[in-house]
Amino acid sequence: MLLKEYRHILREPRTLWMMFLSPAFVLVALSILFASGSGRVALAVWDHDRTPLSRQFTSDLGSDSDFAVVYVSSYEEIEELLVDQRIDAAVVIPAGFGESALDMDAAPLQVILDGIDTLAAGQATGSLMGHTTAFSLKLSKQFATPSPQLLVHSQRAYLDSANKRNSMIPGLIPIVFSLPVMAAALALTRERETKTLESLVVTPVRPLEYLGGKLAAYVTTALIGLIPVWLVATLIFGVPFRGSPLLLVASTVAFLLASMGLAIFIGNLVHSQQTATVIALFVFFVPGFFLAGLIDPIDTTSLVSTGMSHALPATHFVTICRAIFIKGATFAELWPSILSLLGIAAVWLGLGAWTFRKRLD
Amino acid sequence: MKETLHRIWSMVIKEFLQLSRDKVLMAFVLLGPLVELVLMGTMVGEGVQNLPLAVIDDDRSRASRELIAMVDQSDELLLTTYAENVEQAQSLMQRGKVAAILVVPPGYGDAILDPQRSAEVQIIVDDSNYVAATVAEASIETVAGEIMHDLVANTTTATSGPIETSFVARFNAALDDRPHSITAMLGLIVYQVTLVIAAQSFTRERERGTLEQLRITPMGRMETILGKAIPTLAIGLVDCLLMIGVIAVWFGVPMRGSLPLLLLLTVPFVLAQIGWGTLISLVSRTQQQAILFVFALAMLEVACSGFIVPTTDMPLAMQVIASASSVQHYLVILRGVMLRGAGLGSLWVPSLALAGIASAATALAWLRLRAGLDADSLQQRMRVLWHAYQQRLGQRKAAPRARPTRPTGQRPRLVPEPVRSRVNEIPRRHPRF
Repeated sequence: MLLKEYRHILREPRTLWMMFLSPAFVLVALSILFASGSGRVALAVWDHDRTPLSRQFTSDLGSDSDFAVVYVSSYEEIEELLVDQRIDAAVVIPAGFGESALDMDAAPLQVILDGIDTLAAGQATGSLMGHTTAFSLKLSKQFATPSPQLLVHSQRAYLDSANKRNSMIPGLIPIVFSLPVMAAALALTRERETKTLESLVVTPVRPLEYLGGKLAAYVTTALIGLIPVWLVATLIFGVPFRGSPLLLVASTVAFLLASMGLAIFIGNLVHSQQTATVIALFVFFVPGFFLAGLIDPIDTTSLVSTGMSHALPATHFVTICRAIFIKGATFAELWPSILSLLGIAAVWLGLGAWTFRKRLD
Repeated sequence: MKETLHRIWSMVIKEFLQLSRDKVLMAFVLLGPLVELVLMGTMVGEGVQNLPLAVIDDDRSRASRELIAMVDQSDELLLTTYAENVEQAQSLMQRGKVAAILVVPPGYGDAILDPQRSAEVQIIVDDSNYVAATVAEASIETVAGEIMHDLVANTTTATSGPIETSFVARFNAALDDRPHSITAMLGLIVYQVTLVIAAQSFTRERERGTLEQLRITPMGRMETILGKAIPTLAIGLVDCLLMIGVIAVWFGVPMRGSLPLLLLLTVPFVLAQIGWGTLISLVSRTQQQAILFVFALAMLEVACSGFIVPTTDMPLAMQVIASASSVQHYLVILRGVMLRGAGLGSLWVPSLALAGIASAATALAWLRLRAGLDADSLQQRMRVLWHAYQQRLGQRKAAPRARPTRPTGQRPRLVPEPVRSRVNEIPRRHPRF
């Protein structure tokens, strides 16, 4: 049975290449995106005050490498730039700014943010706050009033550089491994669609043996795909690998079993590959990006979302991959996630086998 | 012309019949997007909230307790553990129980009240999760800023610091993250549904063996593509309209611009997917391959869409490549029209880009179809051409008169030409189709 499945996979060199190398290829392409970006805030400045101090403030802003500044002179212009999505924020310096600032009298400064992308808005707020605080300090130094200070020393626990990439790449591994999982889901539906499943019924192969053979073939094929993925991550992108390779392989097997169980269950429910694909995309693709904690951490405020996130195999595997690569975590620290994966695998494989037998009868 | 329309129409009807026969598929194509959008929209939070925090308070003064209380009250961080020392806190972080550690050193309370000295605190963040680390850092910085601001107000004679900044968020006053992520989901769902349906159009016919039947019909190339495209386009537009309704009614995402404009600009977006999908279905032999192609393409498009990494943060070369992603332009349009109330005047750049991508994809699909309906025909044709070229080279050596491989002026036919005797000499592995 296993041999038949291998022969199936080997017969189509295109499928074979896609299963082996596409995860690594997709990982490369995704990872190039995470080169440390410039992250400049596009800013419009309206200097309504036109005093030497306000001019100094705007020219400071202009020379700061955090900002890309355009100068405007009305609210209408600001609104237009905001609607065109050409600026992230606008700074309005009202008349009387310079006078009150020199009097140490809370000079007002208005900032209009584009609130749609809250991460970008947060970044703009932070940069502008930092800039105005620095400017205030410079001003107060001119008047020699000592002000108390609170310094925050920030230390990153595992990686030296503030590089997004090293944290993102291990998290992307679950996403790229949904490719072989999809292939498994479709392999099952294809047998049904092309009616070769009936001919299997008359052979002495029992349904569970059949499923087991299929599963083993696809899991091992996908596991070989782990090697190029690992090479890409560590050699090309220099992500540290601090954990044990054996643990990574073991948890990858657990993840593949869990998601392939789900895939087999889906494959049993539907008749055509097209339907299987649409459902699998709904289950694996969009939630993988939004719920698995890849970008935003899992939302723990509501019970429903926490539960749903933990029902996804990808969520646990994102945690595991990051922990093994970056933190060098051991089994003693990761067993809750690995156990959850095995639990999910047991549930879906059980359901898959049950529906499969029912379908055959 | 009339006949052409008639032929396209019958193809459209055939496709719809085929789709409606698969009840599960129909349900998933029409209702799946709505259900998924509602589910995921409810589950995605308003932003990063309640990251678990461990605190090591070596100062145990009033000031340090105030600081910790302020951090705990912030939306982003939630105090879960008091740790005795850094090692204990770090082992918690290693197990993923806390996302950040705040260390208040001894003497903090004295230093913060003394204007001559500067007080210090330390924060250690778990940077294996980049977003969480950044948010935790920013949150502590904000709290520190507030404390400094209060201190300045208390100690100096002037009312407050020299500059008082007020922040106003346009379009989304509460800085709720949901409109941003829900619009991204809408774009992605329309994208995946249309791409999958288009990608399996020809592969499915091939696997079921109905492609031969399609070939002997009098349908032209363009007619075949159009007949396959129109049902997908209709499904995409209906899905899009339904989902816009749901997010407006259920989630209260505003519709500030014009709905007809948005639907009009959705057309090139869906057309681009149909173009890519058709191309995929023509180059892959089995549906399995088609799906792998779709998945790989979809991941790249999502990555380039500016949803994971803002496009302006990418390296310049990637920005150029990413501009080929139709999802990126569509999200700009979608958010522009729905959330910002933008008109065509502000959106002509992404609109033109979408139109360009759509026509490029369709042109590629058409060119591929020209080479023949079946997956190997391109390879075969290349082999025929290569062989003819070799022969011509050989002939040129013998006699310098080149012979054209095919009578010029004849329109290339949809059906691959019957294999001539010359061609038969070329070794072929499997005569497919």
